[in-house]
Amino acid sequence: MLSRSAERLYWLARYIERTENIARLVSVHMNLLMDLPIGVEMGWQQLIHINAADQEFHEKYKSANERNVTRFLISDATYMGSLFSSLSAARENIRTTRDLLPDEAWEQVNEMYLLVKNNIDSIQNRSNRVALLKDVLKGCQRFTGLLSGYMSHNNPYRFIRLGKNIERADMTSRILDLASLLLADTRSDDMRQYETILWVNLLKSLNAQLMYRQHVRSSVNGDDVLNFLILNTNLPRSVGCCIADIADCINELPNNDGLPNDLIKLNAYVQGINTQGTTQDQLRAILDDLQNKLGELHGRISDNWFLHIAEQDSIQDQVQVQISSFA
Amino acid sequence: MKSIWENYKTETAYDELMCSEFQPRPISYRLCQYLNSLNKSDIDKRKIAAELAILEMGITFTVYSDEGNIDRAWPFDIIPRVICAKEWRSIEKGLKQRLKALNCFIADIYDEQSFIKAGKMPAEIITSSKNFRKECIGMKPRHNVWANICGTDLVRDKDGVMYVLEDNLRVPSGVSYMLENRVITKRVFPELFQGLDILPIDDYPSQLQAMLASLAPDDVSKPQIVVLTPGIYNSAYFEHAYLAQQMGAQLVEGSDLVVNDDDCVYMRTIEGLEKVDVIYRRIDDDFLDPEVFRKDSTLGVPGLMRAWKAGNVSLANAPGAGVADDKVVYAYVPEMIRYYLNEEPILPNVETYLCDNPEHLEYVLAHLPELVVKPANESGGYGMIVGPHATAKEIIEFREIVKKNPRNYIGQPTLAISTAPTLCKGTLEPRHIDLRPFILQGEDTFVTAGGLTRVALKKGSLVVNSSQGGGSKDTWVINREHE
Repeated sequence: MLSRSAERLYWLARYIERTENIARLVSVHMNLLMDLPIGVEMGWQQLIHINAADQEFHEKYKSANERNVTRFLISDATYMGSLFSSLSAARENIRTTRDLLPDEAWEQVNEMYLLVKNNIDSIQNRSNRVALLKDVLKGCQRFTGLLSGYMSHNNPYRFIRLGKNIERADMTSRILDLASLLLADTRSDDMRQYETILWVNLLKSLNAQLMYRQHVRSSVNGDDVLNFLILNTNLPRSVGCCIADIADCINELPNNDGLPNDLIKLNAYVQGINTQGTTQDQLRAILDDLQNKLGELHGRISDNWFLHIAEQDSIQDQVQVQISSFA
Repeated sequence: MKSIWENYKTETAYDELMCSEFQPRPISYRLCQYLNSLNKSDIDKRKIAAELAILEMGITFTVYSDEGNIDRAWPFDIIPRVICAKEWRSIEKGLKQRLKALNCFIADIYDEQSFIKAGKMPAEIITSSKNFRKECIGMKPRHNVWANICGTDLVRDKDGVMYVLEDNLRVPSGVSYMLENRVITKRVFPELFQGLDILPIDDYPSQLQAMLASLAPDDVSKPQIVVLTPGIYNSAYFEHAYLAQQMGAQLVEGSDLVVNDDDCVYMRTIEGLEKVDVIYRRIDDDFLDPEVFRKDSTLGVPGLMRAWKAGNVSLANAPGAGVADDKVVYAYVPEMIRYYLNEEPILPNVETYLCDNPEHLEYVLAHLPELVVKPANESGGYGMIVGPHATAKEIIEFREIVKKNPRNYIGQPTLAISTAPTLCKGTLEPRHIDLRPFILQGEDTFVTAGGLTRVALKKGSLVVNSSQGGGSKDTWVINREHE
């Protein structure tokens, strides 16, 4: 397969995963805030923080209220990390890799894009927002499902899995940042009182509540939740599981050079993470380190397989000179 | 309940579906009967369903501008155009005959030029053609076929005869829309396909694939075929991606390809360089290879012409094939058929005045208000004038333009091109249409069953190009032998 196509499929998968993650994050958070007392330090601001977009958000909006945060995260086309921007980018990537994917894949992403585009103004209203996010979640799952069911599990599919898992591991580590709030010594009494709800919410953000109950079989507590979401190798959204899947793909891809070794090291590093009795600061340091390592992995993949051609401005001019005989 | 036919008035032009206002032609009897059973709200529902399908399938023309990317939905009219299979068989023969003769002509032009030596055509026509590529002299592409993919535009005049308007031999597009139009029609009018023997069209991608494979260098058993696109900024990008996907070929851009010291073409893959055997290029000659043609081209591949001349890669269409895609050369096609094939042309040309010829020029200048005058090398309906629709001022201005560069202009009588019922605000009205069948020639020849019908959606307009308010229709070749 072309290096260019590998790169586009990888990004397609990242953007679809990001779209799904934002949709789930906002839905779950909205549910949570309905349960919490007013004034607790777990507000809409946290969603901006997870996405590391504090600065950009505050340049555009004054207060981090529901209206502004949801607009920023869902519909703001000028914020590259918004749901709409991610979905648009996914669509652009699939439009340019249609030759490798089943017809339905393009139609699915295109339909979802049109749905969001046509309903983007209605999300100020909570019920509309709930409905739209639900449709987006369904759409992303349908996309994942149809690729798994219709597409050969070949190299193009492996690049899709790579992109999906890197994005997933990254998002899981960001959501775990929320946990650091729950570990703060200075946390309020309100927060302590609602602790269990908050840990459960963390699991829900990663669709992991049921699996946690089955796996851990004890009441929900911080240490076990962190262990489960970082180290477990069966839960699709745990960091450990993402790393294992990335390693599988990399081992099967041609010209993988030193990458399988890097993955062995990364896996050992992740499995060595110890969060028993960790403090807020320790957890933050662990997560920062993890995110940096994921960033490095992305760089290695990109250097190894992708095409590095700087965008040439002149291309657009020339294409416009080329009038197809049909136009 | 109002009938959707209430406003239908056939004009002086031939109507493809109706003999008169009330009487359908035998070939369209069933279709008209069915349309009669629908009221305005039924037909509106079908129209909306079609529009939705077009959006969801993402059948778009992308227009990139400074304000961002605009996807324009493909303008589609849901009422199909029908052609009788018996008539079609003769048209098909005529199209194959024409492309064969054109290919003999191109091969001859880059070889001994016997057509010119025999006095059939003045040499200046070739020496002054901007699509004549001297770099191609002496080349022998596989099967000695230069134009492998051709889109020929046909129109029917008021006498009921189908005429050839032009042959597009460079990078003709539209075939993906022909295929998608059928998919939409099947969704919108599934009832109609029951009991009507409509010839299928969806084997085009397989035929294209087989034709391209037949061009591969001899010793390759499973040739690597790629579609070379100028990229996402091109308005036909949808089609490039669609055809690559349907054929299972790789869609590549110039920067994905490289020509090595061995004069072979390779693509950059995750496994390193992989050899390419056949390139279906959708880039004009000018941009193909900066070493030979436009130096500033970033769309093409440096060294591609070298690789082609060395016989290591096949290009479809071959560089230089555009020499026959010229409205002046067009006038000589009937003569080519007689000269190379020793046959009489099956499909007639439209009467053409070549402004290069002083007598013709005089006639054209004197009769501008009645004629259509077009530049020889433009496409897309640009730079032309339709005499009867032009203002006096436009005529005077155009007269000067033609006088300055007579070689570049041809004149033709304004045809009353045929009409077909088209949905306009809930009722049917006649609109002018043409037809673009696609013809393939490699080892064998193939013609699509029907083609892309383009329709001028503006009342009275004769310009069907999509950039100028044109749309399209599904085209049914109906076999009535089993009825």
